[in-house]
Amino acid sequence: MKISFTGKQYISLASVLFMLLVWKILSLHFKSDFVLPSPEKTLITTLSLFTDGKFLATAGTTVSRGLIGFVISGILGIGAGILTGVNQYVNAFLRPILVTIRSIPVVSIILLALIWLHPGAVPVFIGMLTMFPFICTNVSDGIRSIDSELVVMATFYKVSRKRIVGELYIPAVMPFIVSGASSAMGIGWRAIIIGEVLSQPRYGIGTMMQNAQTFLNVDAVIAWTIIAVLISYLFEKSIRLAEKKFITWRA
Amino acid sequence: MSLEVKALYKNFDNISLFSDFNISFHEGTITCILGPSGCGKTTLLNIMGGIIEPDSGQLSGFNEKSVSYIFQDPRLLPWKTVKENIEFVLKREMPAEQRHKVAEQLIRLMELEDFAGYYPSRLSGGMRQRVSIARAFAYPSDLILMDEPLKGLDIKLKLNLVRMFSKMWQADKRTVIFVTHDIDEALLLGSDVVVLSRPPANIVLNRQIDLPFEKRLPDSGPLKEMKGSLMQALGN
Repeated sequence: MKISFTGKQYISLASVLFMLLVWKILSLHFKSDFVLPSPEKTLITTLSLFTDGKFLATAGTTVSRGLIGFVISGILGIGAGILTGVNQYVNAFLRPILVTIRSIPVVSIILLALIWLHPGAVPVFIGMLTMFPFICTNVSDGIRSIDSELVVMATFYKVSRKRIVGELYIPAVMPFIVSGASSAMGIGWRAIIIGEVLSQPRYGIGTMMQNAQTFLNVDAVIAWTIIAVLISYLFEKSIRLAEKKFITWRA
Repeated sequence: MSLEVKALYKNFDNISLFSDFNISFHEGTITCILGPSGCGKTTLLNIMGGIIEPDSGQLSGFNEKSVSYIFQDPRLLPWKTVKENIEFVLKREMPAEQRHKVAEQLIRLMELEDFAGYYPSRLSGGMRQRVSIARAFAYPSDLILMDEPLKGLDIKLKLNLVRMFSKMWQADKRTVIFVTHDIDEALLLGSDVVVLSRPPANIVLNRQIDLPFEKRLPDSGPLKEMKGSLMQALGN
């Protein structure tokens, strides 16, 4: 078991090295930093970003946009998810809306939001709109997955309504909220950065990417991409850690 | 004060399960209701437990009783450990200190000491059912209802559970009513065995088994003769 696991890790490491190798070969082939800079040069650019005076403002603004969008969509999603989970009429009403939101290309929403909203608010709005359906659907599925036989058991033993909610409903839905939050985050970061690229707020990773692209600073575009991937990875990891800590009971 | 069901009527899916059905139970004994699949045994149990309503009929003695239920599947909360699952039903009934004591005592009786901190996902089916039985005995009830508690377990596990169940029941002789379609289960546990017919149910046979639990082995001695007559009654 343990050996095959480290074996798998070696293969994953080999996969990363393979990607770097392909990148290196391609950069040697194009021989131009305007098309594809080498991995080493990009790494240096990435590291130099951290020492840039505007780095914290840029990354910090994008992160706070993500968090604001996440919190709003979390509150709305959990609320709407509970309503759709317990009431089939609310569910019938909300399902088509969710399907519509999910099917609209993100770019369409951005283009409309650009007309309606302040540039800084566009990415938050986009993030919220892309994250909301995931959280809502997952919470709703979670509520519908609650084992009614457990509720009969608890009611039979005269467990109070309040404790049934706290000790049966909430723990049952928790894994669904976590998995909804995790997929929402994954898709949310991407949407927020696209929003920033197109709305050009003063600070933001997307703004920096767009600027770099305009001046053909391909290494900076990739460097900011790496930062975005790191941020996304960090949040994904912390959600997984929280899951491990709070949902210990699953086999 | 005895437990009685009088003039019970219940239809389910246009089938008349009970039509003027009457049955009474002796307190402090284990009554087994044996019947073919689909004869309405579980429905009867749920009516007695107040989980479903009869179409009409009187239940006497049940209302005043505090009742535990051992369901066919153990119905444990997956996010609570063995001990927490037992204590889950006790919070309203007793203060924390007593709760821990009762849970620990039942865990010991059910030989689950090594698993008190385990989540249900790490237990075998037989062990989960033991937790469910421990929970029912931990709950301060006068009456225990059971729905095929040994279903799906192999004979070795069945005998093991019967041994533990009898140990607990002998220390605390509550009234037990259980339903099953498995003759072995009835023979191993019942002190009164009532055989029901196909619906609408009527009582085909009512027998007592005066044999101590430890002398009960299926397919041996006096139980063998009893098994024959139960099989015959079930077949009709």
